[in-house]
Amino acid sequence: MNDTILSLMTFTPLIGVLILFFIPKDSHAIQRGVAFATALATFFISLPLVTGFVTNAEYQFVKSVPWIAAGPFQMNYHVGIDGISLWLVILTTFIMPIAILSTWTAVEEKVKEYMICLLLLEVGMLGAFISLDLFLFYIFWEVMLIPMYFIIGIWGGKQKIYAAVKFFIYTMAGSVLMLVALIALYFKAGGGDFNLTRFYALSLDPATQTWMFLAFAFAFAIKVPLFPVHTWLPLAHTEAPTAGSVILAAILLKMGTYGYVRFAIPLFPSASEQFTPLLATLSVIGVIYASLVAMVQEDVKKLVAYSSVAHLGFVMLGIYALNQQGVAGGMLQMLNHGVSTGALFLIVGFIYERRHTRLISDFGGLSKQMPIFATIFMIVTFSSIGLPGTNGFVGEFLVLIGAFESNLRWYAVVASSGVILSAVYMLWMFQRVMFGELDNPKNKTLPDLNAREIAIMLPLVALIFVMGIYPTPFIDKMAPAIDRVIQQGKMKQVAAVVPQMPMVAPGVDVTVPPAVHK
Amino acid sequence: MSITDIWSIMPLLLLAVGALSVLLLGAVMPGRFGTGIGVVTLLGASLWCILTPSQAGVPTLGVSLTPFARFFTVLFSLTAAVVLLLSRGYNARRAIRGEEYPATVLFAVFGMAVLSAAANFLPLFLGLEGLTFAFYFLVAIDRERPESGEAGLKYLLMGAVAAAFTAFGIALIYAGTGSLDVPSVMGALSQSGKVNPLLLAGLGFLLAGIAFKISLVPAHLWTPDVYQGAPAPVVAFLSTASKGAAVAFLLLLLPAAGVVEPLRIPLWGLSLLSMVVGNLAALLQRNLKRMLAYSAIAQMGYVTLALLSGKGGGYGAAAFYLVAYTAMNLAAFGAVASLTEEVEPGEVEDYRGLGYTRPFQGGVLALAMFALAGIPPTAGFVGKFFIFAAALRGGEIALAVIGILTAVVSVYYYLRVVVNLYMRADTGNVTASGTLPEMVALICAAAVILFLGIYPGPLLELIGMFAR
Repeated sequence: MNDTILSLMTFTPLIGVLILFFIPKDSHAIQRGVAFATALATFFISLPLVTGFVTNAEYQFVKSVPWIAAGPFQMNYHVGIDGISLWLVILTTFIMPIAILSTWTAVEEKVKEYMICLLLLEVGMLGAFISLDLFLFYIFWEVMLIPMYFIIGIWGGKQKIYAAVKFFIYTMAGSVLMLVALIALYFKAGGGDFNLTRFYALSLDPATQTWMFLAFAFAFAIKVPLFPVHTWLPLAHTEAPTAGSVILAAILLKMGTYGYVRFAIPLFPSASEQFTPLLATLSVIGVIYASLVAMVQEDVKKLVAYSSVAHLGFVMLGIYALNQQGVAGGMLQMLNHGVSTGALFLIVGFIYERRHTRLISDFGGLSKQMPIFATIFMIVTFSSIGLPGTNGFVGEFLVLIGAFESNLRWYAVVASSGVILSAVYMLWMFQRVMFGELDNPKNKTLPDLNAREIAIMLPLVALIFVMGIYPTPFIDKMAPAIDRVIQQGKMKQVAAVVPQMPMVAPGVDVTVPPAVHK
Repeated sequence: MSITDIWSIMPLLLLAVGALSVLLLGAVMPGRFGTGIGVVTLLGASLWCILTPSQAGVPTLGVSLTPFARFFTVLFSLTAAVVLLLSRGYNARRAIRGEEYPATVLFAVFGMAVLSAAANFLPLFLGLEGLTFAFYFLVAIDRERPESGEAGLKYLLMGAVAAAFTAFGIALIYAGTGSLDVPSVMGALSQSGKVNPLLLAGLGFLLAGIAFKISLVPAHLWTPDVYQGAPAPVVAFLSTASKGAAVAFLLLLLPAAGVVEPLRIPLWGLSLLSMVVGNLAALLQRNLKRMLAYSAIAQMGYVTLALLSGKGGGYGAAAFYLVAYTAMNLAAFGAVASLTEEVEPGEVEDYRGLGYTRPFQGGVLALAMFALAGIPPTAGFVGKFFIFAAALRGGEIALAVIGILTAVVSVYYYLRVVVNLYMRADTGNVTASGTLPEMVALICAAAVILFLGIYPGPLLELIGMFAR
């Protein structure tokens, strides 16, 4: 059982897809029900992963089956999770039922196709998080694109086609270069299989590392998205239907940061070290720039989209601090962002469904009309800003501490202003939408959240507080795996970089054994 | 010629006899059994290739059914069977009558099978010209329509020039080496010392002729016009099997040469130009078949890249990609054929909303587009993966990177079809709903695309038997 549970979880949505094929076109209620039940079942199947997870740095629930063996190649269906992927998997299975539930009244046309796309997307995302075979990872990584492309392109807003094509081509452009690097890496390792741990053990020369790292990092940077390759994101977010935006923000973007933690840094440590200043600079620019742009947005959804770019900049900064606090903070912030930005997109969806506009100027004074909505919106806003007591605080705090203690100190100082900026744009938006006079007559009849909508938001709100007040279980389960990543990132650096000291920035004490950070 | 000789080339005889009997039967009982007999013959020939044990070749005939020949005979026969299934309804709707059509398709497969079984330049040339000759008919078969006639004339003129190049090339090779035996001629190429200039010139001419067949840039100019003008099932056949045969031609020559160094530079240039020009020109096309023509040019650029990375495992990659490409193009043109009533929906815009009104054909067409764009989990991705892996391993790093970047460019025009299928409102232009044989043909093609994308192992093993 232990080794099949991951596969069972990943492919359960496919069963839902098969069932959906046989449901008549117009039975929308049944279609929604089947999709929701499938996503919920997937979530419950994934729960034993948390309870059965032993806190250590090993890959667990591992399953490896030969898949393709031909010529020089050996690909395996090799899956497993460690502390890093565990929570991302759970986040995925947790968000999916919520996302599906949110489409109940939002999508009235082509419901069947929509549900099929959502479930296929879930397969792709889960598969990417659990793959320990690089080739398998790449397949799942690309498979995710197709359903998302349809979700944006078919059910999206006015500029849906442009947004969908841009999303597709940006991501594809990044990933094909990664494919080249992946093949080159495979040949450098001298045949065998695509097992990730085997590649970890390689020591590559710095020049090779540089090229491969750039290819991987570019692919992941587009997905994160880092400034200046972020331009597809606000568009895709804004045009996508609510469930699409929620999944895009909560899970798909995490693929990029997960890629850095899982692949780019441990595989190419010395190149990663070499490019740390560049990536940290881009992250900080992302934080500040996206916050400033968010401030002037007139469309709530666009504002949330830009806030995503800023938050992911924080995550990247934490990861590149490459110490226990930084990476843990980054990982935690990935989960937090999934919860709080997912919730924000749901909230935007609620008001859009009611008013069919997202312009801030069309609203004002909603808190009088919709008190429950106002409360939930308030909590989520606080979480997004990172107010103490909510989850956002813990993550951002750890990231900043981590970065401050590493040699990214000055980056941390600049990035902290992003915390203030986020408070400015979020609160200002909240104020303009929720407070003030209820002067627009169309807003005077808005109904408050119904039971379904409250049911969607409650788990998210609960998580905001749980993760804000008691984040220890989350961090503890990740800690050993994070230590391993840090060790991989630094250990091989010592080996690969010492002979060429000039490459290391002054002040980096490369001789400190990594165990010190524990 | 003994009984064993006849036995050993049975698939070739089956195809030839099948072609003749369809033609004769057409005179006695017109319009009834052509497609049926054709499909049965083709399946019979493939079964024969799969089931009977390997036998020694017949030196007097210059052909031998090696595993290589069997593989390609099966591929071409099955392709032709799918094409016949696609053509039946299409030809009925567009009033293309007569048993000449299935008979010519069988005859083309006969040419292809001879080509892939050839051990000598003469049957090689005869096979190539035989199949080309069949296509001169097929392209112009819809002779009432001016487009079809124009396409036929263009193909005939360019084909004649190409045939002259090929024949002259073979003559030069013979003059240079005194032999028409493929292994010994190509072996002479890899021998140390100075290479026979006549042999080199001959190979150059030969390559020019083949480049026309595979439609590699700059010998590609006929492709868009012919693809646009010819009937869709014929284009499905032309773009898959005839290109496949020409690639098989190169697959017979190149590995025998050992090192392809003298041919590397021309192949390099052809591959580069085809990938770049094909993909960029496809961006500008509004007509679906024309776009697919440029896409075919680009796809063949990838195959050429595999061919010149032989030492990295490129020959196997080329053979695999050929199978994948055959399935993808059959699916794409098959969908077009089955959506054709009186006139073919030509413009990409004509396919608006068909993903909903014709979910089956729309889905297959979309799948074919994703596969051609090289997106997993489809055969197109696995095929491209092996090509680029072979190229990187064989040291063609620059070409591999250029190829993969042009593949990203190609995503744009392939997606444009998907956009029209699913993201725009229906225009109601297309009224055809497809017949059962067409559905069967499309299901076969789509199943191959998905199966090879998820589980390519068995086919790779099969290819490993004759190519590395």
